[in-house]
Amino acid sequence: MMALALSSRRHVTRLQSTGALLGGVLFGLAISLALLLAQGIAITAVFAEFVGFVFLSDAGLASVAVEATPLVLAGLAGAVALKVRFWNIGIEGQLWLGAIGATGVALYDAGPEGMRLALMAAAAMAAGAAWIAIPALLRIRLGVNEIIATLLLNYVAFLLVQHLVFGAWKDPQQNFPYTAGFDAPVEQLARLGWGKTHAGLLIALAAVALVWLLTERSRLGAYMRAVGASPEVARATGVPVLLTVVAAVALSGALAGLAGFSVAAGEEHRLTQHLGLGYGFSGILIAFLGRFRALGVLVAGVLVAGLYVAGKSLQQFYQLPAALIELIQAIILFSVVGADFFARYRIHRG
Amino acid sequence: MTNALELAAISKAFDGRVALDRADFAARWGEVHALLGENGAGKSTLMTIACGLYAPDSGDLVIDGSQRSLAGPAEATALGVGMVHQHFKLVPEFTVLENVALTCGRRYRGQATLRRALTETAEKVGLPVAAGARVRDLSVAERQRVEIVRTVMLGVRILILDEPTAVLTDREAETLLAMVRGLAADGTCVILITHKLHEVKAHADRVTVMRAGRTVARGLDAATLDVPELARLMVGETLVPPAARPRPPGATAFAAEGLRVRRADGTTAVIGLGFSIGAGEIYGLAGVGGNGQTELVQAIAGVMPVEAGRLSLGDADITHAAPAGRRKLGLRVIPADRHRLALAADLDVADNLALTGLASGRYGPALWASRPAMRRAAAAAIADFDVRGAAPDTPVRLLSGGNAQKLVLARELDDGCRLIVAHSPTRGLDVRACVAVHAALIRARDAGAAILLISEDLDEIMALSGRIGVIAGGRITAEFSPPFFRPAIGEAMVGHAPAAPREEAPEPHVGVRVAAGGRP
Repeated sequence: MMALALSSRRHVTRLQSTGALLGGVLFGLAISLALLLAQGIAITAVFAEFVGFVFLSDAGLASVAVEATPLVLAGLAGAVALKVRFWNIGIEGQLWLGAIGATGVALYDAGPEGMRLALMAAAAMAAGAAWIAIPALLRIRLGVNEIIATLLLNYVAFLLVQHLVFGAWKDPQQNFPYTAGFDAPVEQLARLGWGKTHAGLLIALAAVALVWLLTERSRLGAYMRAVGASPEVARATGVPVLLTVVAAVALSGALAGLAGFSVAAGEEHRLTQHLGLGYGFSGILIAFLGRFRALGVLVAGVLVAGLYVAGKSLQQFYQLPAALIELIQAIILFSVVGADFFARYRIHRG
Repeated sequence: MTNALELAAISKAFDGRVALDRADFAARWGEVHALLGENGAGKSTLMTIACGLYAPDSGDLVIDGSQRSLAGPAEATALGVGMVHQHFKLVPEFTVLENVALTCGRRYRGQATLRRALTETAEKVGLPVAAGARVRDLSVAERQRVEIVRTVMLGVRILILDEPTAVLTDREAETLLAMVRGLAADGTCVILITHKLHEVKAHADRVTVMRAGRTVARGLDAATLDVPELARLMVGETLVPPAARPRPPGATAFAAEGLRVRRADGTTAVIGLGFSIGAGEIYGLAGVGGNGQTELVQAIAGVMPVEAGRLSLGDADITHAAPAGRRKLGLRVIPADRHRLALAADLDVADNLALTGLASGRYGPALWASRPAMRRAAAAAIADFDVRGAAPDTPVRLLSGGNAQKLVLARELDDGCRLIVAHSPTRGLDVRACVAVHAALIRARDAGAAILLISEDLDEIMALSGRIGVIAGGRITAEFSPPFFRPAIGEAMVGHAPAAPREEAPEPHVGVRVAAGGRP
């Protein structure tokens, strides 16, 4: 009989950790490829879509950039919260609230026109932060598990949007469940002249730079690392733990809200029924793939956006179910998380 | 005579860091063999190779005359080699018997058989254990007994004990070492990993000394060595502990009055405790572990609430102040459990050192935290405090106990310190690190800081303190002034109060202080 034994590694090197990450991604992609092949898609078609169109054609790259904009913001939202051990599963809800906040400013023409977009963005961030404040307060004051609270608030946010687009905010000119369109150009993010890319892309890039500065070069970032590594040590050494957690969590909600603003003001130009669906889950995946670091999130966001774009065209041309793309994302997340195990433990006979 | 255990030219590296460099070791049947060395000298690593936890990169392992290559601890056990680690591998929620069943369940089938075997082995070895007690309710010494008895039950004939007395009081250590002698008399080969020189001298037959991953002296007769010579072998040079010259203390810098602290489970840990420390004074608090020391430290540090009483630092009332506020007033803490209260294991050296100084703006103005400044400060601290095996970006997890402790000192003993609470600051440290810690504390004292030194090591307390209080059952039960008389303090520690007037049946909130003074 051959028995296998596990022993944990004293120290996981960067090489082992990167290897596990890449191995996990490749393993997930291989299973996904098998799934696609099982759907009757020729392997050449898969590669033509994923590599040829998505990453080698100008139009494809532009679509990836558009998709990546909210995904990177959502990924950052997941990453900053996880840095202080706060599991924000409610990115999607905060994104919905961000879209509601931006739409409210646009619909009621609040503030001067020159300030309108900035106000919409501010309202979106405030709404996202306010939405995460509920589970944050519940955890800090009452010890309620934030995973459950943030997750359930996603449904509340979704239904709130449905309530608005079917009710009070429904476009009076149309019979569809969406709001009236935002006025061009004061309420819409400017196009960059490359495919459908818009100024939201610059906002997302600026957010990456800001989060990098904040986490790697600021006092708050050092406190966040300490709280993430050991809340007890942080408290005993005089780190303002509560303030640090509140700041990181509020930032997480604000970033998710900003993603909602970007989709509403940059792509849809109105609040629609399905505008935010799926971003929350992708945000968590991207945070994990990017190892909770700003630059990692940027890279992972672009890769997941590529997956989205390829998936959409596979959907159109090969009548694949939309769920398949979500399935592929889930497979990749599982294999990446699973692969970490192989970095942390050594398997040997014994 | 065949050797029981022989390790020849063993080398082992972890991630390129050499832990063992052609180390040799040989122990005979029926002897107590001490393996002596500084922290990080490779003693534990060498022995974990002998018991199959690590495979050597090169070298030979010979057990009872046959060369072996072990696939795991189970194989080592089958060959009669067992190790009791420094960190016990017991499940706190299980009873003693259930914990024994985890490792010995296959050898002794059936609960009745197992229970009988446990009782018999415990009696034979001379370490009684309560089979039905939950491990979480046991003291450290009792847990250690369970570990040893459990290992002996596996039929182990080569017993390796890793720093067994590090967590024990004098009296408990004596009992343990007597038991060890008994096992050796029955033919067992006992290997005692230690850095306590007097233990080697008093209890070992032979001694092997390691330094920096190599064997520097092999199988010396312990009887022919004297302690200074052992120290010289171990650290490569003779170290003289700093003499603590007594000084008249200044004005009261810290005072605790009628302090009462409750544990999370509702029991009272500190009951009406009171004492004060002058500026430039070291106040030693002696006592058997578990008498409220940990809770007292946490209450002073501000991580455990004070139920009643008052803590004052200088003129400020800090009874209910936040940890950050206390630090600002000059409180510094060197806790016994550094990985729970002082160092974040997953962060690097620079981050850990910077934690307490960020708010002062030392690493950049406003909200900035300059990594280069943090790295520079860390490099300077590493050099000043002689932290070995560390660079600014080394995760603290990778440092040995002594070096991690030096990091804590480097951070806590800064210019702004006015009260230092040091809880077992040299526990688990080797001679050289101990000397460094003591010297640092004396420097801080001479610079005018008040120091509360809490330790179970009476020698340490007596060498450093200006006054000594004894804590028992959450109270200060006696207070001594120099010259200190060791047996009197020892007696007070274990509850046999000295023959001095003592208030009867103290009210829970009243601090009982008996000045027993120094007896000749």
